[in-house]
Amino acid sequence: MTAALLAAAAAPLVAFVVLAVPAWAGRPWSERAVSAVTVGAFGLAAACGAAAAAAVLGTGQPVHTPLLTWYRWGAHGGRLGLLVDGLAAPFAVLVPLVLTAVAGFSRRYLHAEPGYRRYHLLLTLFGGGAGLVVLAGTLDVTVVGWELAGLAAALLIGFFHQRPRPLAHAVRAFVVYRLCDTGLLLAAAWAHHHPGADRYAAAAGRAVAGLPAPDRALPALLVGGALLWAAVGKSALFPLGGWLPRAMEGPTPSSALCYGAVSVSLGPYLLLRTTAGWPPPPALAAATVAVGVLTAVHATVVGRVQTDAKSRLAYASMTQTGLVVAEIGLGLTALAAWHLAAHGLLRVTQFLRAPSLLHDHQHRAQLRGAQAPARRWRLVPAAVRRRWYRHALERGHLDALTADWVRDPLARLLRFGDAADRWWERRWAAPRTRPGRTDRQEPAPSPIGGPRP
Amino acid sequence: AVQLTLDLVAARHVRRRHVGAAVPLSPADDRPAPPPAADLPLVYEAFVLAQRLPVDLDTLADGAHARAWLRAVADADALTRRCLWQAAYERRHQSEILDALGAHAPYAPSPHAAAFQAVFCIDEREESLRRHLEEVCPEVETLGYAGFFGVPMAYRGAADVRARPLCPVVVTPRHLVTEEPCGDARRAWRRRSRLGALHHGYDAGSRTLVRGAALSLGAGLGHLLPLVGRCLFPRAFHRAAERLARAPQLGPTRLALEYRGSTVDGHRHGFTVAEMADIVAAALRTTGLAGRLAPLVLLVGHGSASLNNPHEAAHDCGATGGGRGGPNARALAAMANDPRVRADLAARGLPVPEEVWFVGAYHNTCDDTVQYYDLDAVPAQAGAALRQARTAVAEALRRAAHERCRRFADAGPDLPPPRALAVAQAHTVDLGQPRPEYGHATNAVCVVGRRSRTRGLFLDRRAFLVSYDPDGDVDGAVLAGLLSAVGPVCAGINLEYYFSRVDPVTYGCGTKLPHNVTGLLGVMDGHASDLRTGLPWQMVEIHEPVRLLLVVEASPRRLAAAVAADAGLATLVRNRWVRLAAWDPGDGALSVHAGDGFTPHVRQRTRLPVAPTSAHVYAGRTGPLPPVRVRAGAPPPPPDTAGACRTAGGRHAAEVDHTAEVDRAAGGVR
Repeated sequence: MTAALLAAAAAPLVAFVVLAVPAWAGRPWSERAVSAVTVGAFGLAAACGAAAAAAVLGTGQPVHTPLLTWYRWGAHGGRLGLLVDGLAAPFAVLVPLVLTAVAGFSRRYLHAEPGYRRYHLLLTLFGGGAGLVVLAGTLDVTVVGWELAGLAAALLIGFFHQRPRPLAHAVRAFVVYRLCDTGLLLAAAWAHHHPGADRYAAAAGRAVAGLPAPDRALPALLVGGALLWAAVGKSALFPLGGWLPRAMEGPTPSSALCYGAVSVSLGPYLLLRTTAGWPPPPALAAATVAVGVLTAVHATVVGRVQTDAKSRLAYASMTQTGLVVAEIGLGLTALAAWHLAAHGLLRVTQFLRAPSLLHDHQHRAQLRGAQAPARRWRLVPAAVRRRWYRHALERGHLDALTADWVRDPLARLLRFGDAADRWWERRWAAPRTRPGRTDRQEPAPSPIGGPRP
Repeated sequence: AVQLTLDLVAARHVRRRHVGAAVPLSPADDRPAPPPAADLPLVYEAFVLAQRLPVDLDTLADGAHARAWLRAVADADALTRRCLWQAAYERRHQSEILDALGAHAPYAPSPHAAAFQAVFCIDEREESLRRHLEEVCPEVETLGYAGFFGVPMAYRGAADVRARPLCPVVVTPRHLVTEEPCGDARRAWRRRSRLGALHHGYDAGSRTLVRGAALSLGAGLGHLLPLVGRCLFPRAFHRAAERLARAPQLGPTRLALEYRGSTVDGHRHGFTVAEMADIVAAALRTTGLAGRLAPLVLLVGHGSASLNNPHEAAHDCGATGGGRGGPNARALAAMANDPRVRADLAARGLPVPEEVWFVGAYHNTCDDTVQYYDLDAVPAQAGAALRQARTAVAEALRRAAHERCRRFADAGPDLPPPRALAVAQAHTVDLGQPRPEYGHATNAVCVVGRRSRTRGLFLDRRAFLVSYDPDGDVDGAVLAGLLSAVGPVCAGINLEYYFSRVDPVTYGCGTKLPHNVTGLLGVMDGHASDLRTGLPWQMVEIHEPVRLLLVVEASPRRLAAAVAADAGLATLVRNRWVRLAAWDPGDGALSVHAGDGFTPHVRQRTRLPVAPTSAHVYAGRTGPLPPVRVRAGAPPPPPDTAGACRTAGGRHAAEVDHTAEVDRAAGGVR
């Protein structure tokens, strides 16, 4: 059991090392070997995940595998460990299975592409990160997996780095990831100040483990809010979802994997994993439902006017992810988990077929014959239709609003801080360079710099 | 300064070693060298070039000559050099092809009565199918005719929503042809329509809020099967899916060919009998079939179907304007079988014998299958010939697929022949396959002339083959008409591949992998970019960028007149976008168009490698191949010229000696 769990979590990461070391040494593997290692690792992870899941579903009890304690300080400690429970079991099978399929697809799709090995390296890294998030037994493991998956996903967006646009969009996604990762890090910091709070545990008789609920309302609200914030960035929720359609810059299978299925699903999974067992603080539940519903409505409205194959799938993906988050806020955790897994499979399949849009369109038109699709009902009243259409075309003005209200003020604040810093430095540095004081032994100026007089 | 001094000393040393101390480069040797010579790399280059070319070194001993030589070398800037490289590359290819044509022509089989005739598109992909068909069945005669078969029509299939033109883009069709179900297809229609609504509802609904949630929750997990199947076992999954969920078919259909007085969207619905007779007569005259028809004539149009390929239409037939040419072949066959058309033809002196039957067919070049039209109408007396033809075509398809697969990395050069069709089919249905087929890639030659002169010559799927009988063309009118249609089409295809290959980012559309279909009309890179035009890298990566070599079986004078008659073609030739060569119908002399007129082609090689079958030529090889005479494709050579032919018997390609024939000294730059 322990071995299976460990193998399921480690196989993609081992594959990453196996692929990376020879490449660093200047002796990269052949395409065939690279693909065999990748598909094999994900296949092994899926098989081991299935074995672990079967064991857990048989007993109905979560299985913990503590690995090590990386620091100990009094009653506090940082622990690493893996866990399979009723929530992790289906994802421990499905995530590696989807990765296996996508890796098999990529073997043919990326053949003879200059970045073949880099792509597979990033794929294994992403798969390893996602696997750690799924099988994490403590919050620390979640953080590690979360960061690895985020890094690999951003690098996959920028896969075609000879063009400027993929790089800009990769940076945009990465900035959003980093911004929202602060939520997860805050939660981790909180957990490390409360003995035992970093380990997922199940209440007696429950099949799903989660973080122990804070005993007071305010920490519950703050930690829950921080975790929700983490999910907002990862899953492109309202109002930070503008990066998602822009992330369609990598090869089709990586877009399918990250933004159809696995990467956008990590946010809801985190919420399910950490806070699902909590007695819901009303404000937090309301915030979660609000974020989810706003995301779903925004995405479904905007998605209807998208003209390209991948953007409309990206917004479709965002719609359902928003719904899943709303379900979590309502406490419908079992429904949310089912919805999350089912939607991921549906969407990744559609994404992989996105280049067939013209072919399928023609085929469907031939089947339907000449009659145009009838509009049965229109929900939006005629009076506001035009306004909504414009709203949708502008993607809800969210990007502009974010830029005007958040990015630019923040940039101004940083510039102000920088200017203040320089001013302060000049103020303090100036007396030291006065001739009257030079006779004293002065320490060397700080290497951190600032303009020298 | 030190560097310059050292350079000067080194240059003097080199010169002394190679030219001799006594010969000064310039009268005042100790002064700094003249401006061009100060560039040491240039001096070295000039020196190496003088060694390579037949330059008399004594001449260079003269200072003025040496300076002129240096200046000539210095004037060759980067652009000139690239031009030279291109010219050398094309020259080698040109002499290879023309030598092979010249050496092969004496083996032209004498005309014989064919068991059946098969007319293919001029497309260079059909070259291999024709060659293999001739090898499988030596009593066949194959011909090449532009893939719209001279039927300029807008076509609406039984299942199509709207008509689309099936003719060259320069032609505006004035006639509409529709395909009508023979029986009562209403039930099938209803079922198809329901299925279509289901497909559409599922696809559109899955992207919305409420229906999307319902579909995800209800059917989402069911996608695990297609996901794993499509990604890991594409062919097996596709076959299973076809078996389980095949769209209801509309049953047998017929083309509504005859004009009955109605007009649809500005198109006359059908052709009159006289118009049909015109079309058939033009086809018979152009291909040279008139008066020597076999009991069965197959007309084979072509197209291509593949998945996850926004450039699917780029693999279709260029002569139908990027459509699928099956309906055109079917229409021409139906016209030629019509007794009223035959009566009209007989009145014009083009009798079609009673026992001759035309059968239309459609060749899918991606999975190498052929579908025959209107088989239920074939009369009993043509049945035996049709059975023979179908068997031969099926075997030829297997062999052509095998020849094609040598280019695929996942098939490799040692693919067992029985597996070739499976590989081709897997490429067709695989979502993860960015190279379903290589389309027109490697096209380089267009031969307009009698097939008997090229029959049995392995041209590596690189030659457009247009049938043209110079004997039946007394005034050159047929040639002029043919060239004005064929020249621009072939040159257009060739140049499209040329430019996409030499500059894949600007003229091509880059790699396929980040492509995103937008607006149902084109692709862009990733989330947002300009519309990408041209061909993707995956389609042109094996293409050798050479300009089309257009070889026409006509005397230089007649060819020049035919070219001058068409402004577009004349521009192409004058501005050297195509290379033009005349192939005399009488003595077989080849002459090449060089700027202002034709100059005789000087043969560089006298002998042509020989192999028993095509498979021996390409076995174990993945790159482009030079022409080889294939004995299985043509009857044995006449005894008096056998000496010119080096026979290489045996069973394996290793016995075909490709290199010994190339005389390197003669192949160099003169």
